[in-house]
Amino acid sequence: METLLQILSPDFLLRNSVYTSILVGFACPLVGAFLVLRRLVFMGVALPQISSTGVAVALSAPLWFGVSQATHSSQSDHTIAFVGSVVFTLVAILVLAFLERRGRGLAEGRLGTAYVVAAALSILILSKNRYAELGWLDLLKGEVITISNFDLALTATALGLVLGILALFHKELFLVSFDRAMAVTLRKNVVFWDIVLYLLLGITVSLAVLSVGPLISFGFLLIPALAAHLFARTMRQFLLFASLLGGFASLAGFWIAYKWDFPVGPADVVLLGVFYGMAWILAKIVERVSGKQSRQKKW
Amino acid sequence: MNSAIITFENLSIGYNGEPLLRDISLSINQGSFTAVLGSNGSGKSTLLKTILGLIPPVVGRVALAKPSGTPIIFGYVPQSSALDPLYPFTGFDVALMGSYGRIKPGRFVPASEREFTHVCLEAAGAQGFATARFAELSGGQKQRVLIARALVTQPDVLVLDEPTAAVDAAATHAVLEFISRIHREKEITVLLVTHDLPIVREHAQHVVWLHQGKVLYGPVAEMLMPERLASIFEMEVG
Repeated sequence: METLLQILSPDFLLRNSVYTSILVGFACPLVGAFLVLRRLVFMGVALPQISSTGVAVALSAPLWFGVSQATHSSQSDHTIAFVGSVVFTLVAILVLAFLERRGRGLAEGRLGTAYVVAAALSILILSKNRYAELGWLDLLKGEVITISNFDLALTATALGLVLGILALFHKELFLVSFDRAMAVTLRKNVVFWDIVLYLLLGITVSLAVLSVGPLISFGFLLIPALAAHLFARTMRQFLLFASLLGGFASLAGFWIAYKWDFPVGPADVVLLGVFYGMAWILAKIVERVSGKQSRQKKW
Repeated sequence: MNSAIITFENLSIGYNGEPLLRDISLSINQGSFTAVLGSNGSGKSTLLKTILGLIPPVVGRVALAKPSGTPIIFGYVPQSSALDPLYPFTGFDVALMGSYGRIKPGRFVPASEREFTHVCLEAAGAQGFATARFAELSGGQKQRVLIARALVTQPDVLVLDEPTAAVDAAATHAVLEFISRIHREKEITVLLVTHDLPIVREHAQHVVWLHQGKVLYGPVAEMLMPERLASIFEMEVG
């Protein structure tokens, strides 16, 4: 309890890291819910990896063009990394979505290839960059330690914008996802709304990767949504449960990591995995009990 | 005499520029009840998708005209199996989607639309499924919710894609009776895709029969005459 109060204190040295983790924890599941509902789970794996390749490319590009790395501030590094991450994620998501719409070939194969090539490319790029060890690998691994006020403000503003757009246009996004044919007959521009959704996904993934790394982003995008889906009876409950679980897991994960000196990101993901496992067992028990009750009622 | 609301003008339909059905020229009148018949793969769903604007015609055009000149509103009832059960929508959520065509993006659904959705659910006999999870309803119950959703659109044309597929006989009868009633009372044009000849005989006025790349069209009494049916099935067997 004492550790938790210490973490939540405004004077806590790593408070920006805590706030960023919680923001990502709350926001990622809301966007990830669309990946789960659209059965694009593999895209949730591939996108964070592609995004981190964008970070590696963006941070290495000045070196390739002969610009001295020493002149860069951490703030400009972060901005460059953000731009690289967003560009790579959006290009990848639009290309993958276009191929998905054409409906040819094996979607899982495309996403698996994108994931593994992006991961290999990141390693290749960083292996030839002598500055890679100066915090960049930490950034890609998602150590969630050195987050400046600027990074926190950028993350909060962008995620606020994403959630605002989701709230405003949820009915169009749900209609286009659930029943495209109906959306067309109601004269909705389905391509436009798909692009809006992909933009929101791209921005959220980019920010999450920059803040907590690709592995943790994947965890927050999908696991809370999958766990919430076991219990939710309505769409509102689904989104609320997923977001609350993500937010809670990020705080609890930070607390565990701080108390027992673990890396934050992996602690978050393992905790999410434990919650998912517990939720699955609980759902099975509830299912069995309610099944028994309904059989007894019939008799 | 009612005016034409849907007219096919030298229409060829299919996918990726490859026609499945060619040179279709016929009109469907406002307020009529037309059944679309044909064996599996004959092009029924393709024709429906072309009318709804989901796929473009290969050649020719589909003219959609209302006397007032305003765009036609379709109330589309897909096969319930076409909708992913992963979405945790309630019956009410699904029916409410019918109102989204009248609400501008970014606006919240007004109370009047919610009330109207309840009225349509009631009319379709689906009010009892409003709070249930859509994915957990039976085939007939889902169909009623989808018909309610189509009614919420305030349609000029009700388009039903095999609404009684995977539905038991009692539910089929109830669903078709309801569609017939709203067709009569509200004078809505109905376009029904089905395999079920007794249903067509009982409820429809006209038949579009898709057969071996050809389109046969006429009144039910004429199209379902034993001699005509025999010649069609003979052609199919041949």
